[in-house]
Amino acid sequence: MFKQLSLPKLILSGAALAYLLMVILADAADTNQAAASGDLENFSLEQLVNVQVTSVSKEKSDLFTAPAAIYVITQEDIRRSGMTSIPELLRMVPGLDVAQIDANHWAVSSRGYNDQYANKLLVLIDGRSVYTPVSAGVFWNVQDVPLDDIDRIEVIRGPGATLWGANAVNGVINIITKSAQDTQGGLVTVVYGTENQPYTTVQYGGQLATNLFYRAYVTYFNRDNFVDATGQNTADAWNAIRGGFRMDWEPTAENNFTLQGDYYSLNAGETIDETTLTPPFVNRVNFVDDDTGGNVLGRWTHNYSDTSQLSLQMFYDRSEQGDAPIVIKNNTYDFDLQHRFALGSRQEIVWGAGYRYLTEDIANSDFFVSFSPTSDHDQIFSAFLQDDITVIENRLHLTIGSKLEHDNITGFEVEPSVRLAWTPTKKQTVWAAVSRAVRTPSYSELDILENRSFNPPVLATVSGNPSLNSEELTAYELGYRIKPIEPVSFDVATYYNVYDQLIAPVQGAPVFVPPAGPVIVPLTFENVQHADTYGAEVSGEWRVTDNWKLVASYTFSETHLSPTQGYDNNPQNQFQIRSYVNLPHHVELDGAVYYVDQISPPLGNASTTIPAYARVDLGVTWRPVKTLELGIFGQNLLDGNHPEFTSYKTTVLTEIPRSIMGRITWRF
Amino acid sequence: MNKPDSKQQNLRTAKPFARAMALLGLTVCLLVTDSGFAGESPATEYQVKALFLFNFAKYVDWPAAAFTNAAAPITIGVIGTDPFGDYLQNAVVGKTINGRPFIIQHLAADADLSGCQILFVSDSEVSRIGGILDKAGALPILTVGEDEEFAQKNGIINFVLKDGKVRLEINLAAARKAGLTMSSKLLAVADLVKGKTN
Repeated sequence: MFKQLSLPKLILSGAALAYLLMVILADAADTNQAAASGDLENFSLEQLVNVQVTSVSKEKSDLFTAPAAIYVITQEDIRRSGMTSIPELLRMVPGLDVAQIDANHWAVSSRGYNDQYANKLLVLIDGRSVYTPVSAGVFWNVQDVPLDDIDRIEVIRGPGATLWGANAVNGVINIITKSAQDTQGGLVTVVYGTENQPYTTVQYGGQLATNLFYRAYVTYFNRDNFVDATGQNTADAWNAIRGGFRMDWEPTAENNFTLQGDYYSLNAGETIDETTLTPPFVNRVNFVDDDTGGNVLGRWTHNYSDTSQLSLQMFYDRSEQGDAPIVIKNNTYDFDLQHRFALGSRQEIVWGAGYRYLTEDIANSDFFVSFSPTSDHDQIFSAFLQDDITVIENRLHLTIGSKLEHDNITGFEVEPSVRLAWTPTKKQTVWAAVSRAVRTPSYSELDILENRSFNPPVLATVSGNPSLNSEELTAYELGYRIKPIEPVSFDVATYYNVYDQLIAPVQGAPVFVPPAGPVIVPLTFENVQHADTYGAEVSGEWRVTDNWKLVASYTFSETHLSPTQGYDNNPQNQFQIRSYVNLPHHVELDGAVYYVDQISPPLGNASTTIPAYARVDLGVTWRPVKTLELGIFGQNLLDGNHPEFTSYKTTVLTEIPRSIMGRITWRF
Repeated sequence: MNKPDSKQQNLRTAKPFARAMALLGLTVCLLVTDSGFAGESPATEYQVKALFLFNFAKYVDWPAAAFTNAAAPITIGVIGTDPFGDYLQNAVVGKTINGRPFIIQHLAADADLSGCQILFVSDSEVSRIGGILDKAGALPILTVGEDEEFAQKNGIINFVLKDGKVRLEINLAAARKAGLTMSSKLLAVADLVKGKTN
């Protein structure tokens, strides 16, 4: 079925293509190996001052004084975690709630409202939004990049709408990959274990001309089914092949060009309960979603001076996403301009303008789920202006700004914010912010017709509502960071969020279809709900010795809905501690414990409590020579089987297994 | 855990192992043909800074009194959190300059500095720079830092990151006060900075 037979061929031809490319480029590739450390040692002073280096120190100081709740996952965190997917990596972020639903579905949210289709979070990969307007969520099982290429993942909890626009309501996740210049040479990673059978990346980076670098990669993975509480497999195995490239060109010190693209094809299993008009009204089906997609992105950055930078970005993204029983076809064309410059000595202005055109087609509609119209499109015009004012140098910064957007669905939206950062000493920052953000209604909420069996013969008919308005948030945030003594730092972020016009289903009068027909309960989406949420995120880092680092965080969150119908699927308490130890002979010994409180999301017909769970991960890596790293990782070691989440779509409660894997990383 | 039923046979890939082998085979093939021109990842900030510290020893002359004898090693002191990892050790291991080998010492902020010829003040000591430089300033020690104001505060050499490159700032007056002579080659690649007089 599907592409099973052609997959090996695809891999082979992809790899062969990459190989051919390498042979052709071999001559070009050997010119700039300046950075090879063997040569560096013999560099003169003139050469050393011109070596391009990678550094994070600037970002670190910016992070400490930033007037927002920011957390960064570094490449080292990624490498030492042993995790093999982007949503899993996000477990490390305080304030995020990451729950795996089955082998290939996750629920990821910031500050509440978690769901498989969590709709208040914006996710960007190298500046490309992967938010799906149909569900207003993210299909995590198609979001991937070679994990070794990730430079960092920046996560902002709280509204980011002033810069990023509608839908950056509760958080923004920026996945940023390394420049091609930073990934020169070959890389082969193979992970093999109880779940990954295998997960393989083959990559090569080289140089085409002076200051023109490239990399190209192919990844493939095949992951096993999970099981339910009875040991029955849950038909959620998946496999994916993905290939891509990135080119970075710096013809002059003022100009940077980036061109990158990816293409993927995957099969992912899921089980759904299809609704039928006749008894027993429910038909359980194992589906295999067949997903393909690709994107290409270009960016030009021009430095007019040290204090003035212009960036122009364009991307095209298409995807064909199975969300059983329907298939969603999506095209996005996006154009973004951003200019940052200093205005006098005390102000830094960032302004930008954007245009996005989206098309959606829904295929495979049936009695269970259909859309009307089946095709839709939208265009979004946006502009923003933000001013960072130095009120007192090195002490007090005020950031004010707003976005103005227009889309075809809800018209004009304004998303202002005011942020204040006070740095009384180099070791302390106090920040506060008030911001407004909106979420535009998804196509599902506008156009869907879903007939869903609840306790047959009750049939819920959920109808979209084309006259919905945007959901609105006013967020109040207060944060504090301190380095009391050198090896220790703390970060506390608190928030109080007030939501209005939240979209929720409203029940109409039931209809009885005699004699043996179903009882039809009509439900329509309306802007009827109000909610207050509040919480705190505390994280700390302690360098116990030069070779031992501890990182810990605690997250508290509370949701009050009014009216109270709807469900609270948030763990009230979350805790984690991670330990990183460097041993002699290039051995690293790492461990992590994650605790997640109980949640009560609905499971199909009834609400099911998912008990609290603790997850323990351990990992050992060893670098016998500079070019080779070996790793063994055990994940979820304590508890062989526990569920983490159910979405309204879940039919079979899937348990997350213990997993053991080995990893080989070879650079050449 | 592995109980594929018949429905799932097609999804559970039939030959994952064969695929892995095919990929591995290809990889080996790539390795054999490409190893000749393969390079490494680019330099990190501290790899380059470590090499600078080694190079400084070539281009700076210490007064004879700075060493206990003609064969005494050049001691590089690192004060504060060591950001170098293995880089500094790798940069100097087995090297000699004018017959002097290198020694690396990690020092506490309040340590006796008189045994050092080169003192690297890590970013972690930002708040203590003044005190450290007061102590080192009168001794024949090449102080090297990485704080924006290091050279202005009468540190001798400061590393500044500019456009992703490590550039040097030198405070010549501070060098003279310490009794050090700097080669014109070193001065040629650096920006000269004046100290703030308090």
